[in-house]
Amino acid sequence: MSLLIEAGYEFWNPIIWLIAFAVLMALVFLFRKRGQAKYKKDTDQTRIFLCGEEVPEAEQRYVRGGNVYWGFFETLKEYYNGVVRPHTGVVNDYVIWFVAVTAISAIVLFIVELAR
Amino acid sequence: MSTLIAHSSILIIAVTLATAFLTPLVGIASKRARNTLIVLALAFVAFLVVALARDVMLNQIHVYTLGAAAPDLTIPGGAIVPVRIILEVDGLSAFMGIVIAIVSLVAVIYSMSALKTETGQNGFYTLLLLMAAGMFGMVFTGDLFNLFVFLEITSISGAALIAFRTKFADSQEGGFKYIVVSAVASLMILFAIGLLYSQYNLLNIGALAATMEYTMLDRIALVILMSAFVMKLGGVPLHMWLSDTYSVAPASIPALLIVASQASLYALLRTSFTLYGVTLDQSVAGWIIIIVGLLSMFVGVTMAILQTDITRLIAYNCVCESGFMLVGLGVGLAVLADPGALDAFGTMAMNGAVFHMINHALFEGLLFLVAGAIFYRIGTRDLNQMCGLGHTMKLTSVLFLLGALASAGIPPFNGFASKILIYESVYQFNPILTMIGILVSILTLAVFMKVFFSAFTGASLPRYRDVREVPRPMVAAMIVLAAGIIFFGLFPGLVLDWIVQPATDALVNQGAYIDAIMGAVP
Repeated sequence: MSLLIEAGYEFWNPIIWLIAFAVLMALVFLFRKRGQAKYKKDTDQTRIFLCGEEVPEAEQRYVRGGNVYWGFFETLKEYYNGVVRPHTGVVNDYVIWFVAVTAISAIVLFIVELAR
Repeated sequence: MSTLIAHSSILIIAVTLATAFLTPLVGIASKRARNTLIVLALAFVAFLVVALARDVMLNQIHVYTLGAAAPDLTIPGGAIVPVRIILEVDGLSAFMGIVIAIVSLVAVIYSMSALKTETGQNGFYTLLLLMAAGMFGMVFTGDLFNLFVFLEITSISGAALIAFRTKFADSQEGGFKYIVVSAVASLMILFAIGLLYSQYNLLNIGALAATMEYTMLDRIALVILMSAFVMKLGGVPLHMWLSDTYSVAPASIPALLIVASQASLYALLRTSFTLYGVTLDQSVAGWIIIIVGLLSMFVGVTMAILQTDITRLIAYNCVCESGFMLVGLGVGLAVLADPGALDAFGTMAMNGAVFHMINHALFEGLLFLVAGAIFYRIGTRDLNQMCGLGHTMKLTSVLFLLGALASAGIPPFNGFASKILIYESVYQFNPILTMIGILVSILTLAVFMKVFFSAFTGASLPRYRDVREVPRPMVAAMIVLAAGIIFFGLFPGLVLDWIVQPATDALVNQGAYIDAIMGAVP
């Protein structure tokens, strides 16, 4: 039974990876055990401290999905303006794209054929 | 057993079709009996698929001629070409059959709980089974016209399934878009088949491949077929319908729609590798597929990261993952005429792409089922409305993480095994392709970390405190796919040797496909 795959310059054996991962996890566990032992659940230790300000309710204090990676989208604003525009949601446009792609593919194929 | 295997290709289609039409009748009498019938029928079909695949991979291409004195009598006495409907199952068809069988069974088990409160379930299961039959037909047929017929069956039933929940306006819109796009693609495919038939008087793929002269009309037919199949599989820039339709279908249906897209990818491969094969200008066709693949990867992942609707996000990720397959297969096609390059990296690129097809069906299917589980419990797909679900849906969050890590190509899951084959082989063809692939995988991880962070981590919101895990059949369906992800990740060599390599060999060996049909010619 072959566990590994050989891919060009290297091979991949998931069992070796799992063993290495298990050893790493064991080390992490050992380090963690040497850490702070005075933790007490559901006491002041675990309450959120916000510079003495009142902590908002759970519903108000989470970053919503739409705000995640805000900087990424702000940096790539130009790209996104271009790439989102064709996604109109109109099925007529989808068919126009199909016609355009078919025509362009045909032209490419024939130009290459003529060039030979 | 040997008789059963000899007739298995037609039985797989016939049993699925017969069950589809029996379902509403049995359903009138008893829901439980209907559900039992469907699960037993699909389990039997899955058994037949595995038996057929084993036979094909150990022995030879399986040919079944409908109406002939013997199933392998492809050309009747006195004729010089095949005239009957012929099913031809090689390594690639068998591979696709396995994917369809697994996902159909999982989708049915999941639906039995997820749609328990919906009306019109008899119709739903009839359509689901029709779609499965259509997909089996697409990958087993050796005939271009029957490919068109089965594509139509798949598309019409798929559109009806997307629009199944009539109470949602966006489902109706999604179903409408799917049928328009599918109808345009199907009509163009029929037109291309007509172009080929007008020249050769043939519809059988093997017979057409044997006589193909690559005339101007053949080239026009090729371009039309490739564009239509790329649109059906959701390759950029013909992908825009995909997120509009997958996102509004009932939870189990996108998993089937992924396989339907892969059946279209199969048709694209059958066209380019088998029908045209050696007559084709492989390097140009290969590069066209590679460029579509690269665009799909990059546009798919960058559009995915922007989404706040969880199912639209996963749908765009499907576009991205299709890109990986297209790049691997495009590289294989580009070097098909160069035996040295084919041996050095072309076959490995195709192995990676074919392996990624089944992996994609497993992890993307799982992600859609998880998204469906979230919708089932909280009634929204909007990530902005989600937070802290991991507190109450622990198992679902673990299953999501599993699918997400597999999709991003993180070891030791199945996505890594297929992606490393693609990276390594494509690097030898053009290193820039691998660099783009790795960048896209990193972005894929970012996409799913956004979902995991938004939906499962954070404080438990008061309105979701009473949310609990979904019913057991839904969990069981998700676990089956998760088990596949882990198994295929831990034993990639086994999967490669048993089902992937024979599929790739079938792609490369055009002569064997032709000989299985034309071998009887005196």
